[in-house]
Amino acid sequence: MTDLNRDAIQARLQACTSKEATFKELVSLSKQLERLSDTEKTEDNKVKGCESAVWLIEHQENGTCTFQADSDAKLMRGVLLVILSLANGHSKAELQAMDLVTELSQFNLSSYLTSSRTNGVLGILKQIQA
Amino acid sequence: MAFDANTLRAKFPILQLEANDHPLVYLDNAATTQKPQVVLDALMAYYTTSNANVHRGAHYLSDRATAQFEHARDRVARFINAPQADHVIWTKGTTESINMVAYGLEWCLKPDDEILITSLEHHANLVPWQQLAFRTGARLRVLPLTSRGEWEPEYERYFNEHTRIFACTQISNAIGVKTPIKQMLAAAKAVNAFTLVDGAQAVAHYPIDVQALDCDFYVFSGHKMYGPTGIGVLYGKPHALEVLTPVQTGGEMVSHVTYNSTEFNVLPYRLEAGTPHIEGVIGMATACDFLAAQDRQGMIEWEQKLARYVYDELKFHTAIEIYSPESDTTVVSLGVPGIHTMDLNGYLDSQGIAVRAGSHCAHPLMAQLGVSSTLRASFACYNTLSEARRFCDVLLEAIEILGDD
Repeated sequence: MTDLNRDAIQARLQACTSKEATFKELVSLSKQLERLSDTEKTEDNKVKGCESAVWLIEHQENGTCTFQADSDAKLMRGVLLVILSLANGHSKAELQAMDLVTELSQFNLSSYLTSSRTNGVLGILKQIQA
Repeated sequence: MAFDANTLRAKFPILQLEANDHPLVYLDNAATTQKPQVVLDALMAYYTTSNANVHRGAHYLSDRATAQFEHARDRVARFINAPQADHVIWTKGTTESINMVAYGLEWCLKPDDEILITSLEHHANLVPWQQLAFRTGARLRVLPLTSRGEWEPEYERYFNEHTRIFACTQISNAIGVKTPIKQMLAAAKAVNAFTLVDGAQAVAHYPIDVQALDCDFYVFSGHKMYGPTGIGVLYGKPHALEVLTPVQTGGEMVSHVTYNSTEFNVLPYRLEAGTPHIEGVIGMATACDFLAAQDRQGMIEWEQKLARYVYDELKFHTAIEIYSPESDTTVVSLGVPGIHTMDLNGYLDSQGIAVRAGSHCAHPLMAQLGVSSTLRASFACYNTLSEARRFCDVLLEAIEILGDD
């Protein structure tokens, strides 16, 4: 499983003072995301409503959720890494109690959230809490 | 007056903005254009001097509003060379215009009839016809056009005695190619089909003459031609508009109502239920006047020159595939195999450059091109050569940054 240190990721993104810096940081972070195999990228695992293809797989063990995710777009893979760092290791109830949009905004990603009509980030968050 | 992009540019206040700490470079004009000060002033003037409901109670403001509203119809009619203002129906945009025709002609379709579109359509000129076919049992047929807008002579067989409706775009929104509209309309008329032309991508660039086109319906949106959002036009020949069943009924579109029956009003009101988008109508007419006052030939030559510049700068770059034609277009739609268009778009945006990445509401065309999305730079009259150059430079930077693994 990818090592997802939420605080470290947050610090890196918060240090970005321009959209260009955020872009480059997300591209750099995207390389840490563990990719899914082609057999895991099924239609069933696909999140609907994303302009780039996004796949999300959920595992539950002893009440703890672990997610794997992938995309064909790098920027989205960077965002997914952030989302997984937030979501992994929590129970469903904890996830449902979390305000994931607010949490994500602390990563300096508000513009990626506002454009979610096309990129589908809100849909991913909804699926994580479902 | 000779065309000068910089003079014109100064009339668009929003173009002075910065975006993400860079000067805004707005190249998403096929999605929507920016608005000149005269259009913004017209909207404000309406509310500060004339706001009232139209066609209703005779009072000072209502008379003013109604006069401006109907004068706007004259101005838009003149802009597209419609023979009479009554042939111009206000809608909220191209999509609504097409839906009004697709629902309004439902009565004339039966199983075995055919609705013909082309392979270069926006979903707005595809889905309403497909759904109409589902409702009536008619067949939706797709005339194959190449991505260069060409058709084979043998395709004339697509126009046959079953063809009831032919609907086609004048210019592809996704790749900017012109369709052979005149030949296709002639073929459609030869089989007595209703004809509809989607002019959404054409009106901002080319003078429109609906009488020369001789189509039954011509549809377009205000916001893609320097006018406000939420307003558009359904132009129709009288015989074509007369046979449309009104999709919406209610106030304004009636002449007499009892609990048992309704007598519909005459055109254009019969197809305009409810209080209209009055300031949108006035703003759209102002945009028409704005365009008509320009050196149209100089303007289109300039816009095409910008697209051609980008084409020539990028055509030899081995990483880039260009889907738009080399010339006679204001759009450069491209892809970089191995790099997602959303990523390219993300970097361009970080540098203040607005383009469109996506399928451009044309999934079947994307399939025809063998891609899931493209990056589209679309030019308008106020764009400059330095903006075109900056787009190319930043795109190449993006490819360098994103193509490293």
